[in-house]
Amino acid sequence: MKRKFQRNALILLTPVLVSTLLLAAWETWVRVRDVKEYLLPAPSAILAALLDDPGRFAEGARLSLQAAIGGLLLASLGAFILAVAMAHSRALERALYPPALALKVTPIVAVAPLFTIWFGFGLAPKVLIAAMITFFPMLVNSVVGLRSVDPRAHDFLRTINASTWQIFWRLRVPSSLPFVFAGLRISVPLSLIGAVVAEFLSGSEGIGQLILIANGDFDTPVLFGAIFVLAAMGILLTASVALVERKVLFWYQSAVSL
Amino acid sequence: MTNTSRDSDVPPEPVVEVRHLTHRYPVGNETVGALTGVDLTVNDGEFVAVIGPSGCGKTTLLSIIAGLLSPTGGQVSVFGSDTRAARRSQALGLVTQDPGLLPWLDVASNVLLTLDITGPHDGADEYVTELLERVGISRFARYYPGQLSGGMRQRVALARALVHHPRLLLMDEPFGALDEISREEMRFELLKVWEQEQMSVVFVTHSIREAVLLADRVVVLTGQPGRVKDVIEIDLDRPRTASLEDDPRYQSLLADVRGLLVSETDRSDLVHAIPGTRR
Ligand SMILES: Nc1ncnc2c1ncn2[C@@H]1O[C@H](COP(=O)(O)OP(=O)(O)OP(=O)(O)O)[C@@H](O)[C@H]1O
Ligand SMILES: [Mg+2]
Repeated sequence: MKRKFQRNALILLTPVLVSTLLLAAWETWVRVRDVKEYLLPAPSAILAALLDDPGRFAEGARLSLQAAIGGLLLASLGAFILAVAMAHSRALERALYPPALALKVTPIVAVAPLFTIWFGFGLAPKVLIAAMITFFPMLVNSVVGLRSVDPRAHDFLRTINASTWQIFWRLRVPSSLPFVFAGLRISVPLSLIGAVVAEFLSGSEGIGQLILIANGDFDTPVLFGAIFVLAAMGILLTASVALVERKVLFWYQSAVSL
Repeated sequence: MTNTSRDSDVPPEPVVEVRHLTHRYPVGNETVGALTGVDLTVNDGEFVAVIGPSGCGKTTLLSIIAGLLSPTGGQVSVFGSDTRAARRSQALGLVTQDPGLLPWLDVASNVLLTLDITGPHDGADEYVTELLERVGISRFARYYPGQLSGGMRQRVALARALVHHPRLLLMDEPFGALDEISREEMRFELLKVWEQEQMSVVFVTHSIREAVLLADRVVVLTGQPGRVKDVIEIDLDRPRTASLEDDPRYQSLLADVRGLLVSETDRSDLVHAIPGTRR
């Protein structure tokens, strides 16, 4: 019991310790070598910039997060629905794959200005770009997941004359979830990239815009502040997905080792 | 035909009637034969074991009877109609060696899923409890398949396949992965359920003892592509118990089946290697 507690404490402590050491080394380096602030600000200067106007960062983070999550949800839902059709028929899969692939390989940077022309500077184009960048991994994972049904379970359900609909909800959808979550883990950082890139290119409000402005002002501490906030957002999103995954896929770890 | 009390109420119509059944699987541009000209009849309440060398088409035969696979030739009727109609009657049960439970449902929910699909029957709740008790998994009702041993999972699969009172139970090496003690237990449990439920069973196995111990008839198939090599009537008294081991008739039936199988696997040397084997 005690040993377990010690181990948990250690698991928590080591990363904190390592990060602190890294920051301390950074701080020392900047101070000792007297590095110019516009090149590389000390952690203390970044912290000061963050605390100087925390509301600005919080508002930026909120807007970018909204776009990223919105895009991720939109893409997940759309991809899953399309995946159902593709998993259902190989012909449909062959037909739908090229446009899906085209969507994937087209650089979003090229498409973003178009979205701004069509949808203005609000939330919509940002959500769409975040959705576009996450769509393909969600699609591929959903298709594989929907096909990953245990043939024995499938045979059993067919033997008792379960309908296609019953097999879909009782077997196919749950079987696909481990793959859907694998797709989500890939897509979370991508959705943030999508949101920030959209803000870069359209200048609409969010962390991306904050970076754009700080860059123009040579305000490197604010720039770094924005980067740290972005990293924190990524960690937050990833951790939330992992948490939901642990709840939903409680059966999966043990199932793998069957 | 059998010396059970069922003889008198055998209806004119067999539960399974297979005639000149042939199946070939497509492999690339060719086809490979799995079954050729198989005839098989399973009467109401009869327990038929199917045994044969690996790859002779036993699983294929069960899949066809279950209506999961359309044969490339021959006729199959189940409950007097075609296999799809038979499947629609929801009176089939299937147990395979790898049970294919749903890992996100606990034991009780896996068993109840069958009733969710076939619809509940009178006394369903009590029957679920009774079945879980009977196959020895009531203590594990709230466990998930991933938390159970292979033997336990197989018991769940059996309960799941019985809970809707099937008229025909199809079993594909159901106890193949179990340890000897669990196997023994499960065999006698299965016989008890079968005697109580008055259902028919088609039981695929690799074990000669199991086939002779359980069945009214043992169907021996030839090597791939499978044909019926011979059908052996097992006229041993019921209920069958572990004391059969001492019954010379049982031993002689074992030897008969073994003889048929050994010549089939083309290992004539084994005939002499196994004591009590006649040719
Ligand atoms: N989906 C398939 N595609 C091609 N060939 C197949 C397929 N399924 C089975 N076969 C072939 O058909 C033959 C019969 O297979 P089947 O699984 O019915 O044999 P079995 O008697 O159940 O074997 P075992 O005792 O090993 O379980 C085998 O030779 C196998 O290679
Ligand atoms: Mg088989």
